[in-house]
Amino acid sequence: MSETPILELRHVSKSYGSVKALTDVSFSAYAGQIIGLVGDNGAGKSSMIKTISGVYTPDEGEILVDGTPRHWKSPHDAIDAGIETLYQDSGLAPDLTIGSNIFLGRELRRRSLLGRLGFLDQRSMESQAMQELEKVGISIGAAKRTVSELSGGQRQAVAIGRAAMWAKHVIILDEPTNHLGARQSIEVLKVMKAARDRGLCVLFISHTLPHVLEVTDRIIVLRLGRIVRDAPTSEFTVESLLGTITGLNQ
Amino acid sequence: MKCVGIRVSSSDELTPPLPNLVTPVTEVPKWRALLANQLTVLLVILVVLMVLLGNHNSRFFTSSEMSFLLADFSGLVLVAVAETFVIISGGIDLSVGSVMAVSGVLAARAMQPLINSHTNEAVVLLLGTAVALGVGMLAGAINATLIVGFNVVPFVATLAMWYGGQGLALVWTGGQPYGLNPGAQTWSAATIPGVPFMSWLSLIVIGITIVLGLVLRKARYGRYTFAIGSNNFAARAAGISVQRYVGSFYVLSGALAGLTGMFFDIRLGSGAPTTGQTTTLIAIAAVVIGGTSLFGGSGTYLGTVLGAAILIVVQDGAIFVNVSANWVPVVVASVVAVASIIQSGRLRLRRRS
Repeated sequence: MSETPILELRHVSKSYGSVKALTDVSFSAYAGQIIGLVGDNGAGKSSMIKTISGVYTPDEGEILVDGTPRHWKSPHDAIDAGIETLYQDSGLAPDLTIGSNIFLGRELRRRSLLGRLGFLDQRSMESQAMQELEKVGISIGAAKRTVSELSGGQRQAVAIGRAAMWAKHVIILDEPTNHLGARQSIEVLKVMKAARDRGLCVLFISHTLPHVLEVTDRIIVLRLGRIVRDAPTSEFTVESLLGTITGLNQ
Repeated sequence: MKCVGIRVSSSDELTPPLPNLVTPVTEVPKWRALLANQLTVLLVILVVLMVLLGNHNSRFFTSSEMSFLLADFSGLVLVAVAETFVIISGGIDLSVGSVMAVSGVLAARAMQPLINSHTNEAVVLLLGTAVALGVGMLAGAINATLIVGFNVVPFVATLAMWYGGQGLALVWTGGQPYGLNPGAQTWSAATIPGVPFMSWLSLIVIGITIVLGLVLRKARYGRYTFAIGSNNFAARAAGISVQRYVGSFYVLSGALAGLTGMFFDIRLGSGAPTTGQTTTLIAIAAVVIGGTSLFGGSGTYLGTVLGAAILIVVQDGAIFVNVSANWVPVVVASVVAVASIIQSGRLRLRRRS
């Protein structure tokens, strides 16, 4: 691919005291790709997504978004640059409606004096939430329902839909199919594909290898803080992937 | 190597059908839905109580009795609504009663010399209100600093403020109320073009609670109150400065406790250190009866207002039907217990539907 990568890491290293969490990590991610990020516990997956999403600052190396070097001071900077992260179990506020959750932190105000006083345009938020969720493949019936009325899979789908709706470039999903049943997981995977088809780059972190093989275009395998393999998904099987993760087949 | 991975790769297959997240809504019988609505239940309780009292003695509906009721309600509803914000956000403020006392005492202390030197009454009242508001906000800010800055659990931080506030109110008065005697007529008996001054005050109080109710339901501040109580982490992840908002809830609570302290100064004609001794728990009871979850995340402003009204009607009604004063708290407590049982029954009903 000759186009500019939407996200690029160049020689990124990060250590905590004497523990090296990431060593010389480089990769490029392109728009319209789902990239699986796999590795054993402690392989550096968490450190990597936290570096990309601005929770940590790398000790060495640089991060480029759409060709421009970026330095995050806080997760807010990453969000402003178009990178949305869905952390494990961070989820949604169950007592708020779907629409309110979608617009949480980005509320629409009324276009009157009341709006300037902080009063919200709930109706517009709810109708827009419905439309935008449908664009990433989620039909929710009514955005007026509270999230607590949804099943686990539905909640996760809405959470991903929210990330996909606001992300300009990249969404990072940390174990989005954890704790979900088979059917619910399929719903979540569908939303991920829809997000990719809208031109987003999806970073999918998971331990569930069949899900990774089913939905990704490319897989990056991390071991002991280094990238040990970065190849199209078609080159992997469950066995070979497992072998690469554990370091048995080298 | 043989490929056993299940992989969807042709771009045609990549456009997935919309997963349908619509779960069929089962029809709920109308009577049950109505019964399950907490506001209906509360309103019915309130109306029944008032009808029973009026039936017992029609003097209950006279304007003097009603204005007494209204004044008592006004002395509770502001702190109860403030408590609603705090509890919905997942916290609790136990200090409101003492903050009322301290603000009232200090406001009276500021007003007393001005009254004795016959300063314009409007000036005196405005100054007193400013002092009470300031003291209340300061107390709230101390709560906020303990909770947000030092990670003290709200229960403990505000418990300390409650206890310390009681002490300070006594220290600063020597146990004796500051008398406020503005000339021949007391404020509580004064009328401004024919309408009692106290009714004007109640009108202001009701105005403030309506604004707060709208803010809670319709404005961003209220939305974040719910979001923080519902899922603190999600609120943080959405870029809400949770710390700042949490701090502001305690400052708001302190401010309204301060105003209520001033309200009692005017009503009683003195700044008494014993003001608000039971207010904290009655306010929390009103919030809970109103259907707000003590775990945070859900609740309504109208529920609290109705809860406060019910508690005041019970309390004053008990006195009205000559229940001996010492028994009144027992009667109020029984109502709190019964209302809580009805609330939990309502929740069961809703879950079943």
